[in-house]
Amino acid sequence: MQWLDALIQGILLGGMYAQYALGMALMFGVMRIVNIAHGDVMILLSLIAVSLAGVIPFGNIGLIIVVVPIAVLIGWALQKFILNVVVGGDELPSLIATFGLSIALQNLMLEIWSADTRSLPNSEIASASFQIGPFYVGLLPVIVLICAIFITGGLDGVLRYSRFGRGLRAAAADTEAAAMAGVNPQKIYATATAIGVGILGLAAVFAALRATVSPADGSAQLIYAFEAVIIGGMGSIWGAFWGAMVLGIAQAIGLRIDPGLGILFGHLVFLAVLAIRPQGLMARK
Amino acid sequence: MTKSMSKPSVIVQRQTTSSRIAMTLCVAAILALIAMPWWASSGHIRWAIELSCYIAVAQMWNLLAGYAGLVSVGQQAFIGVAGYMLFVLAQKFGINPFLAVPLSVLAPALLAVPTYYLLRRLDGPYFAIGTWVVAEAVRLTMSNIDYVNAGAGLTLRVMTNYSLHEREVAFAILCAILLLITVGGSFMLLRSRHGLALTAMRDNPVAAASQGINVGRLRFLIFVAAAVGTGFAGAVYYMAQLRITPSAGFDPFWASMSIFIVMVGGIGALEGAIIGALIYFFADRFFGEYGSAYMIVLGVMTLIIALYARSGVWGLLQKLGDHPWFPLRRYLVLEPKS
Repeated sequence: MQWLDALIQGILLGGMYAQYALGMALMFGVMRIVNIAHGDVMILLSLIAVSLAGVIPFGNIGLIIVVVPIAVLIGWALQKFILNVVVGGDELPSLIATFGLSIALQNLMLEIWSADTRSLPNSEIASASFQIGPFYVGLLPVIVLICAIFITGGLDGVLRYSRFGRGLRAAAADTEAAAMAGVNPQKIYATATAIGVGILGLAAVFAALRATVSPADGSAQLIYAFEAVIIGGMGSIWGAFWGAMVLGIAQAIGLRIDPGLGILFGHLVFLAVLAIRPQGLMARK
Repeated sequence: MTKSMSKPSVIVQRQTTSSRIAMTLCVAAILALIAMPWWASSGHIRWAIELSCYIAVAQMWNLLAGYAGLVSVGQQAFIGVAGYMLFVLAQKFGINPFLAVPLSVLAPALLAVPTYYLLRRLDGPYFAIGTWVVAEAVRLTMSNIDYVNAGAGLTLRVMTNYSLHEREVAFAILCAILLLITVGGSFMLLRSRHGLALTAMRDNPVAAASQGINVGRLRFLIFVAAAVGTGFAGAVYYMAQLRITPSAGFDPFWASMSIFIVMVGGIGALEGAIIGALIYFFADRFFGEYGSAYMIVLGVMTLIIALYARSGVWGLLQKLGDHPWFPLRRYLVLEPKS
């Protein structure tokens, strides 16, 4: 029975990880760039949310309405000033540049917010729960999971059917050929980054509602997002979602075995997937 | 008619004036390092140990990222396992700690083999984060093993069996060996037949493969060699610290430090890692007290160099004139007519 409970908690945790992973999958899929500062940007947005909490009316909904545009703006700046310089070249500069950014951001947050852990003031949603049979389920994690499903479905739909999605897939497959066919890669890249970081804005508010955040937490979030993307299979949006589920379940089960093993179990499942099915669970081929 | 075109007699020259000066300085520096216990204070010897470890770890990262095209942000995995191996050998099995140092590099070598085989399928940037996951997994594993005191870590009590002077002599010799192996070894490797292959790989892996270079095998060998060199530095460093914990031994700081040193100094050049290590070491002495503000500057500098000045300080010096310290090129010189 407690394993079934771990499974449910794992799926709910996976909903959170899916939100971290989607932006990364999108940006890597299009630009072949991994933003090492991905987790730090998320933490930055969480801390901004915590600081704004007292000022913004309409509670948490109001917070999301304010933080997501800030996230989109940060994504735009990231694209304009950093990623645009390195996109299309070899992978080393983008990796090192975002690594430097990650260190700078982490320490900048440390200067501004100090090393304390913070969270959004306890609201009703965060503490509400309901009962399904013998299990207690938190309301907030369920909302997070539902949001994750909608974002994944929406993103997948946009990529499949919209004009932007076709352009994006074309630019991902062959940038030059896409440019010749009338797609503006710069615009596609900028939009993809804005969407990717925008999703992080939503995730950031949820993360600050759900638990505490502190400036040093970014690297863990980066690793979870990365593991979810690889477990699911590179280049697949639903893959990132299912990868996040697998990761969440692995961590929740590890946690039940021994409190020190939760995160390690996630890493081990990731390494096992690399060994057994390196193309990922949802790979197209 | 062809008779008149006699073959000009040429000799192949590798040394340059700058390299002769540099080599002399290197030999002098190594000798001075070994002699440190007789002329320097304990504090300065500790500095020398630290600087040697920085140079070694950065040089190994340079070999990986600069030549083999394997960007790793998880080298701390090898530092940590070598450190732990040393502590276990010396503290639990009673092996002389100084002799345990060369034995302890077995651990990183053994870890590097499966790590490479698991991660080699990942694309460049994903390879990097993959190495980080491995480092985190090893750290968490260590934090859960009671034999090595889990999260509390180990202390090297056996070192009290040796006098301060004995320890300092041993450390000076170990540091000299460390530098000879990592810097000297990299130099020898790059001057060898494999060095040519590595340089070709650095410039274009696909073209290198088409010329008959077994890129995968070479990458594997470099990955393991870099793990051993990095592990050696880790063993020396934590032996000097007398204490190791999972959070210290597997600190991602080691990755950021190597990246900063190599990028600022100049990636893909042996001289770069040394220049970078010196810059980092002294910057740390002067500005380390500013804590996070100093780290922001380091991060932004790394960012700017990666975007706009990829060849670092060494690249700038190269523009002023070609004065290699560790010459890898061959020059044909006409033999003077006798």
